[in-house]
Amino acid sequence: MERRNFLRAGATLGVAGLAGCTGLFETTSANSPPPVVEDRPDAAYYPTHIEGHAKPSMAEDGRLRVALMYSYPHRFWTITGADTNKVSIQSEDDAHLMATIWDSETMTVLPTANVSAEISKDGETVDTRDFWPMLSQNMGYHFGDNVGLDGDGTYTASLDVGSMQARGLGDLAGAFEDGTTIEIEFEYSEADKNEIMYEELSDQQGQEGAVEPMEMEMMPVSSVPAASDLPGTVIGEGTSGDARFVVATANESPEFVGDDETYLVVSPRTPHNSYPLPFMSVSATLSRDGEAVFDDSLDAGISPEFGYHYGAAVDGVESGDELAITPGSPPQVSRHEGYETAFLSFEEMTLTA
Amino acid sequence: MDDTGRLTRRQFAKAAVAIGGASALSACLDRSGGPDLPQGSDDLAALPDRQHAWNEFLATDDHGNDVAPRHHVLLFLDYASEGSPTDDDRETAESAFESLERAYPRSHDSDGETRVGLVFTVGYSPAYFERFDADLPGSVDLPEPKALASFENPDLDAQDAVVHLASDYPEVVLAAEEALLGDQSELNGVEMAADLSGIFERAERRTGFVGDGLPAENQDVRGVPDSEPISEDAPLYMGFKSGFRKSQATEERVTIQGGPFAGGTTLHASRIRLQLRQWYEQDSRSQRVGKMFCPVHADENLVEGAGDNLGDTALMDEKGCPAHASDDARTKGMVGHSQKSARAREDGSPIILRRDFDSTDDGEAGLHFVALQREISDFVATREAMNGEDLAEESAALGQKNNNGILQYMDVLRRGNFLVPPRDLRTLPEPNPE
Repeated sequence: MERRNFLRAGATLGVAGLAGCTGLFETTSANSPPPVVEDRPDAAYYPTHIEGHAKPSMAEDGRLRVALMYSYPHRFWTITGADTNKVSIQSEDDAHLMATIWDSETMTVLPTANVSAEISKDGETVDTRDFWPMLSQNMGYHFGDNVGLDGDGTYTASLDVGSMQARGLGDLAGAFEDGTTIEIEFEYSEADKNEIMYEELSDQQGQEGAVEPMEMEMMPVSSVPAASDLPGTVIGEGTSGDARFVVATANESPEFVGDDETYLVVSPRTPHNSYPLPFMSVSATLSRDGEAVFDDSLDAGISPEFGYHYGAAVDGVESGDELAITPGSPPQVSRHEGYETAFLSFEEMTLTA
Repeated sequence: MDDTGRLTRRQFAKAAVAIGGASALSACLDRSGGPDLPQGSDDLAALPDRQHAWNEFLATDDHGNDVAPRHHVLLFLDYASEGSPTDDDRETAESAFESLERAYPRSHDSDGETRVGLVFTVGYSPAYFERFDADLPGSVDLPEPKALASFENPDLDAQDAVVHLASDYPEVVLAAEEALLGDQSELNGVEMAADLSGIFERAERRTGFVGDGLPAENQDVRGVPDSEPISEDAPLYMGFKSGFRKSQATEERVTIQGGPFAGGTTLHASRIRLQLRQWYEQDSRSQRVGKMFCPVHADENLVEGAGDNLGDTALMDEKGCPAHASDDARTKGMVGHSQKSARAREDGSPIILRRDFDSTDDGEAGLHFVALQREISDFVATREAMNGEDLAEESAALGQKNNNGILQYMDVLRRGNFLVPPRDLRTLPEPNPE
């Protein structure tokens, strides 16, 4: 009997019936979590449960740092266009593997284009796949997937880390333009996995909000600065699809911006945790006295100061200019629970400078 | 398997191709007694000049699409001696190839259906032509193989030659391979006049299959989930039909037009590992259709099952897919595989002829992507279109691999380029024949 059915049956038994069978309720666990909340808001919401992860294994290549860690297999949602698909935990899945990639000099999480993994044990290939780019409430932007392993032991993950798929600015200009291959060894044991924190959020589940970012030693989180901390002039802020879009011009223009131009920055972020929303398309139209002086799609950019954002060189922003921000495609990142109903459809936002 | 847990005859026969060798063949023949095939041609002069002229021998389906032979072996060979080949070796090897042609018909009629007996091509690599002082003529475009995307790192094939053997009968490709290598002196009642032993050494063999039902029967491999998701009507592991008439170049389009190798073609062989757990367990049907064909195919639900309903066209131009690739990348953050590849067409027609097949080599789901084209640069152009790096650069939403067709599910392990000369030059050719 599924838990939900049992609850219904239990209800007819009344309180006395329930009191005698609390043990039977403990059928949910990390490997078979409670069902997804039924009435989910079209916004970031508290998932049914949170999970920790095993101690990360680290590797480096020049400035590039990779942390690989595992947790219980997760359910998550893939996305193609605006078409999401719930990925259920399969019987073959032993763990959810996650990789976070960052720059050691600026401690910036990198919007790497792709990470493919070949996982082996004792020289035998166990699994090969491309990790999904993912967004989770406690880790932000990372790469990961559920994988099947071959029992306890020492594994080697050979990770092909692709080039950065965003224009590097500031101390990231010209960095990480080529991909690289990194090997990471990690220990896996079922017993250790079962020690990983798992907590159900029975009281909060389904409510708008998000669990806090996980404190991680030695590694940065992908969150972007608060609007007031951006090194520029904030023009305004819009909200659509539950994302906040902070719009600013940079105080210091990147190299590719002409002398009489200004770098326009649009920084969409999740509510609550301020994670950037990568792999989305954003267009901007800047109008002055009713005439469009800029009308184009923005390029993805990454800088230590602005974090991940979308930007373009514009012919200055003057007081009274009207700026329309139009998100196109939703962020093409797989969603961990609590983000799968948010950031899917957007309206145009209009700001006046 | 049957209910006693033993392999059925059909399952055994196809597993035998992957295993290979005399014992697999004899076990295969013991079980099946071998197919009942007429012998091949007495009049070798009447055979087509083009080695790659297979289409006239293939069955066609209800929509006029050519149906590929079901069983394949790619036999990679190294010339056994130093330096350039001798005339003696050339005569002996040619005699071996002619024996194959005498032994099996290209195709025959079996209960009213056209079935392929044996078709094959022999091709030579740039490394082979390095054995000569002279260079290939400018009419042949045969560069060394190389990686064709920023995210791939293939090993590059440098064997001297490749023989592509194909048949609707697993026993035939196996027996032809054995006979060529000198392990069997008689083939379908025809005495082998010669074999390749001492002239060539086998460097590698790759095997596989294509056609309805075969991927489903062969899905117990790494790379395919245990849930056995591949349907009986799928001709390829990814579940969809390919080789629509309108998605294939004609043999004429891929044929070298001038110079000493006029009538020949070039062959690119890549070995691709398929990673289909995500494809089948994590993508929905509509996501798969969109990624394989084009977003509009998913939106309008244009593909039924493996896509037989599409007839002889993947509906690329009809639905404006190549023209919309840029828009789709920006507004949807995704593009389809066929949609991207169709951008490489010339006057609306494809420039490569796919002769690819799936594989269980090394116990993993694989694809041996054999493609014929007039010039290797035609393949490179098609692959670049399929990579969609230009689209990913234009659109912040489209990943280099993520939602960029089916790139995420494929890992290119090897690439090789070969010249397939016309039939009269197929054996150990010189780079500048008279």
